[in-house]
Amino acid sequence: MKTELAGIRKTFGETDALNGINLEIGEGEFVAIVGPSGCGKTTLLRLIAGFETPSAGEIRMGGHTVAGPDHATPPEKRDLGMVFQSFALWPHMTVSEQVAFPLRHHRFIDPALKRDAAGRVRQMLSMVGLAQYGSRMPSELSGGQKQRVAIARALAPNPSLLLMDEPLSSLDARLRLELRNEIQTIHRQTGTSIVYVTHDQDEALAMADRIVVMNGGKIEQAGTPEEIYSRPDTPFVATFIGKANLIPGDWRDGRFHPFGSTEVAWAVPDVAPVFRDTGLCPLRPEQLAFGTGEGIRGTVRNVLYQGREIHYTIDVGQQTVDLVTGLAGRLSAGDPVVLQYRPIPVGSSPAINEMEYR
Amino acid sequence: MTQITLNDGGRQAAGAGRRFSLLRNVPLWLSVLIVTLLFVVPVIRLFYMSFVEEGGMSLAHYRSLLSESGTWTMFLNTLIVTAGSTALSLVLGVTTAWLAAYTDIRLKKALQVLILLPFIIPSYIVTIAWTQLASDVPFADINLYSMGGIVFVLGITHYPLVHLFTANVLRRIPKEQEWAARAGGGGRLTVMRRVTLPLALPGIVGGAMIAFLSNLDNFGIPAFLGIPANITVLSTAIYQEVIGFGPGAFSRAAALSVILAIVALAGTLFQWLLLRKSATDGTAAPDTEPRVRLGKNRPFVEAVLWLFVLGTGIVPLLSMLKTSVIRAYGLPFVPDNLTLDHYRYVLFDYGKSFDAIGNSLKLAVAASLICLVFGTAIAYFRTRRPGGALRYIELSVGLPYALPGIVLGLAMIFAWMEPLPGWNPGIYGTAWILLIAYVTRFMVLQIRGSMTAMSQVSPDMEEAARISGAGALQKWRKILLPLLSGGILSGALLVLLTSLTELTVSSLLWSSGSETIGIIIFNFEQAGYTTHSTAYSAVVLVLMGAIAGLAYLLLRIWKRRVNTP
Repeated sequence: MKTELAGIRKTFGETDALNGINLEIGEGEFVAIVGPSGCGKTTLLRLIAGFETPSAGEIRMGGHTVAGPDHATPPEKRDLGMVFQSFALWPHMTVSEQVAFPLRHHRFIDPALKRDAAGRVRQMLSMVGLAQYGSRMPSELSGGQKQRVAIARALAPNPSLLLMDEPLSSLDARLRLELRNEIQTIHRQTGTSIVYVTHDQDEALAMADRIVVMNGGKIEQAGTPEEIYSRPDTPFVATFIGKANLIPGDWRDGRFHPFGSTEVAWAVPDVAPVFRDTGLCPLRPEQLAFGTGEGIRGTVRNVLYQGREIHYTIDVGQQTVDLVTGLAGRLSAGDPVVLQYRPIPVGSSPAINEMEYR
Repeated sequence: MTQITLNDGGRQAAGAGRRFSLLRNVPLWLSVLIVTLLFVVPVIRLFYMSFVEEGGMSLAHYRSLLSESGTWTMFLNTLIVTAGSTALSLVLGVTTAWLAAYTDIRLKKALQVLILLPFIIPSYIVTIAWTQLASDVPFADINLYSMGGIVFVLGITHYPLVHLFTANVLRRIPKEQEWAARAGGGGRLTVMRRVTLPLALPGIVGGAMIAFLSNLDNFGIPAFLGIPANITVLSTAIYQEVIGFGPGAFSRAAALSVILAIVALAGTLFQWLLLRKSATDGTAAPDTEPRVRLGKNRPFVEAVLWLFVLGTGIVPLLSMLKTSVIRAYGLPFVPDNLTLDHYRYVLFDYGKSFDAIGNSLKLAVAASLICLVFGTAIAYFRTRRPGGALRYIELSVGLPYALPGIVLGLAMIFAWMEPLPGWNPGIYGTAWILLIAYVTRFMVLQIRGSMTAMSQVSPDMEEAARISGAGALQKWRKILLPLLSGGILSGALLVLLTSLTELTVSSLLWSSGSETIGIIIFNFEQAGYTTHSTAYSAVVLVLMGAIAGLAYLLLRIWKRRVNTP
């Protein structure tokens, strides 16, 4: 089922929560919506779910209009499932009852699944590794187990679209990584379209087919994880997704002269016009290195040892620049350094390797 | 004095001074003894009295009571009245709670105040107001002096309790849990039936239990409406036994009290178990966002709701005011018939009613001050130094409040008429017995208020003050008092206002010269002086409003002073 959003606007009183959103979610596609809090990503998800009504624009699912200005099909009449940040398990039902609930009530369910509800519950629970937990109450589960139940519950009726609202952000770091793998596997197995809202760019980069970066109620950029990471269209995307430094300087003949330097010129490829026009260059911490000879002079301000790598902040004039290096040649605060540009071919292994960097 | 160690009990203290622990604990055991004597022994004595017969112990009182058909009629009345009024409270309370917690109706704060009004105003004044409204209704001949009337006024008076409990629970149901059900295909009704209702049930049942206990406990309403119509319920039956001074009256009343107390205590226990069970998963923060948009129906729903709250909260009072300025009861409401004579009479001509305001004010101020000091002390030790002894103290102090007021009144008579065999200190028959009874009954309100305030100030803040070098005095003056004052003072205000208009306990303990506000209105009403009782009720409402307003103002000034150095 294809989901299309055309010209969606949503206003709450005087404030614009969403300002002209156009988005298409293809059959089986995994789309991650990323942005800081208050960017409108959760409102967008609620509109797709049917908990909110758009102020303008239209939402279509599988060719049918489900929402337009001031009218919306309620969530229970849309072919979807939903997973919440707070798990939203019902405290008075057992794990099996939670999963059986949509099997009984979902309108778009395959009659075969409905007939063998008990079998389907068992199947879903073993998919999320909780086959033995059917008779437990939610209060007897750990956080990770609760979210697995929530996922099983959302997927039990085999909905055409699965909405996930920051499903991992109330879990601890280790569980987050574990469940990322699981969600990816489940997506591959079920082929359900997924809209996944998160503020964690790592999650989005790791799992999604396509990332939609939102800011201030608008889509800043949409594209594959590689495109978003390596070729940001706007300063916001560059800093939010890649943690890039926005280095001021001059663009002359396709080369970047950082901090107005006349001698130093860096050949940085694939920089969007908006940066060139404003005299900026987005450079991610791994795109900078210490060197000798020609370069930009600075002083080490902080050294943060991370085990696998070292994060430095460097003072350059009035600016600070972030930089990541390997463990060799550790410097100390106050050391003078020379910064150089380190080219990383798009899509090559170093960039991918460094992706885990935060 | 015992030293207070924070948080980790007195573990270090116990290690350091085990030898002195017996001595150190003297104040604690002394408190336990005093609390037992003041709060527990009177209740035990009441039980004992119900078995006493000339010459020994027997079940004679119970036997003779239960063999009278009048007793069984009275039991049946009590059952019908409490069940009916609880059902009414439940329907009204749950409906208004759902509207207030879930829908997008406007002006919720104003509605909340109006909904609480019938509960805040003393129930006997509410009763007078309703009887006046009933007589003002044209066309229909409504007789509130009936079973139906008692059920109705009790239900209206106590539905705010159900409302408060239910709204609180509804707001704490995470909306995601309801959304998850809708995303799973459940329509509004399915979600209501399978998610909202089961999750709200503890609150609804808890509210219903509180309403049930209040309906069982209430004396003013069945006394004002039932006695003239010869309808007796347990609380009025005990009252009539006591003032009837028949043979063995006190023991018969004691036996009835034991029956009433057992029902009430069983209800309290059930409620406590229920709330304890639901409290474990009630950690979610309240969510005041509307969840249901009424759309086009909103103005209609709002209109009905406003009509209801104004009709139950304000209109009866207006009717009462109207009666209070009529020259003679029953005359039409036209300018020629209006007069302020009744106000002049109750305030100046009839000395007792003016004195009663003074009596009640003195008693209420004294009771709230005593409760303020001792209640806050108990609350402090209870929250900061938990242990069996303090738990016992808290429970004991709560006992007189859990008992129906009329039962406590009788227990107070037994306890203070002759505290020791053969020794009558002359407390019974003076205003002192009222003060003792008020303190005994309402102490727990102050403890709860202060404990709520204290539970919101974490021990960390005290520790931070001490780490920063503050001594005990500085710690209290600069940290604890500013943070606690709001909660402690609202507890004291509650004690003050409740004692000011107390009727149930007073009705058994008052004596000539120590009349209280409630007694004066009760006596006016029993004598049929409706214009006087309405005028006096209006004066009392103004007084209550003035006290509440003054307290609010003082609290604001005090807060501003401590917040800005």
